[in-house]
Amino acid sequence: MWINMGPQHPMTHGLWNLRVKVDGETIVDAQPEVGYLHRGIEKICEGRTYTQIIPITDRLCYGSSLTWSHLYCLTAEDLMGVEVPERAEYIRVAAIEMQRIASHLMWLAAYATDLGLMLGFLHAMRDREVFIDLLQALSGSRLTYNYPRIGGVAHDIPPNFERDSLRACAYIENRLREYEDLYEGSRVFMMRNVGVGLLKKEDAINLGVTGPPLRACGVNYDLRKEMPYSVYPEIDFQPAVHPAGDCYARYRVRMDEMYESCKIIRQAIQKMPKGKWRVVAPRNAPVGTGMGRVEDPRGEGMMYIVGDGTDKPYRMKVRSPIFVTVSAAPRMLIGYKVADVVAIMGGLDMCIGETDR
Amino acid sequence: MEERGKRSSAEGMESAVGGADDVSEEKVFRALLDSFPATVTDFKKLRAGVLRARIDRRDLHGACVFLRDSLGFEHISMISAVEYEGRFEVVYHVASWKHRLLLELITTTPKDDPSVDSVSSVWGGANWQEREAYDLMGIRFNNHPKLERILLPKDYLYHPLRKDFKGGD
Repeated sequence: MWINMGPQHPMTHGLWNLRVKVDGETIVDAQPEVGYLHRGIEKICEGRTYTQIIPITDRLCYGSSLTWSHLYCLTAEDLMGVEVPERAEYIRVAAIEMQRIASHLMWLAAYATDLGLMLGFLHAMRDREVFIDLLQALSGSRLTYNYPRIGGVAHDIPPNFERDSLRACAYIENRLREYEDLYEGSRVFMMRNVGVGLLKKEDAINLGVTGPPLRACGVNYDLRKEMPYSVYPEIDFQPAVHPAGDCYARYRVRMDEMYESCKIIRQAIQKMPKGKWRVVAPRNAPVGTGMGRVEDPRGEGMMYIVGDGTDKPYRMKVRSPIFVTVSAAPRMLIGYKVADVVAIMGGLDMCIGETDR
Repeated sequence: MEERGKRSSAEGMESAVGGADDVSEEKVFRALLDSFPATVTDFKKLRAGVLRARIDRRDLHGACVFLRDSLGFEHISMISAVEYEGRFEVVYHVASWKHRLLLELITTTPKDDPSVDSVSSVWGGANWQEREAYDLMGIRFNNHPKLERILLPKDYLYHPLRKDFKGGD
């Protein structure tokens, strides 16, 4: 019997459909279906100038919009050959790590409600506001920031930003320890997580899974270390890895990543040099291609822009990490019970905006 | 960049996919040229760790198997289809985690027969990306297990990323 979980289902976190074939309560086959939120962003971008595209790329994912506009600016800079001032690079790194914490906290909140831990939802959402406020002070808006520019960032950091960031890091590190007690002390949470949704290392690599679900399979692969961009080579941190490959490992990897993000924010704030935060980028791009590749909170984000000498891109392609990861979902689901679907799919941190584009 | 790369490789990749001897850009180039002398052209180093090569579509599947099995390119990052005057290009970004390389493999297909061989049997991650390229650009992938539209409705008539598609109502 096929069951449709979605497109309107509390498990889905956005518009998509998971068809599962069940034998009794056991899943024997699964088919994710996406496309309900397809807005044609790649086509829209072909009709906009390079500057106008920055707010559009923000809309790729409302949970981590800054990483996407940052990735777009990286790609456009690669195409145009623009050198970014060092201060702007440090501001960007601090900002995208704040975005990573905010994104992971939103995932933690949603995951808690999925698994019947409403208290976790309220706490995580409240603490996410701390970082949303910081990003609002930086850019002026709460969720879609429109902050990076081709050649730097829109404006310098506001007064007292260093102090507030360091306070936020100290605060969230204490809170994360409390979360660990709260979540891992809950027997329901642990029973629904440990040993559920196992994914083998070889399968994860072959199916193109990236980001926390891949590092939860014991593969130490983080693009910030392996193919460093921006000023990540100057910063000391360790990618979070867990060998188990189940839902608990994915939870653990994201929690550890938040601690590492705090370390990165501190270093970026301390090492930030004085100077310019933006250079003027050319209006027209040369004929050629540009490519950018970053570690998004959800995996490997990538863009490819073909320029044709005008002020509009000829073709822009976006690689969404979740689009590829969700195609591997049947491998994690088959053999488990229908009740485990919520934990397995929740553990992937779905974001439909970037999946459907 | 070279120096930074090496330092973190020593500490970072120990627990990763598994040790192998270092494959440099030149080695990849030579191995590809030796195995496919007639069809691999335009080899170029774009920046440290990023390479570009063109390949004829006849040898695409064989070259991908060779890349995965002999050169350690175990991850397909992205498949993009681009329309040019008189031709389509399918661009494969293939990554090797062991050797920290990214290869941009470009293959060309004519407008009247836009088809290339599917590589989803080589890398499972290519499956949905090929369906997306078929859906939006109308490139057919031979031997694909399920070549159907993925983002647009099944009864949709057009391939909207083509340049002759006009939006609006």
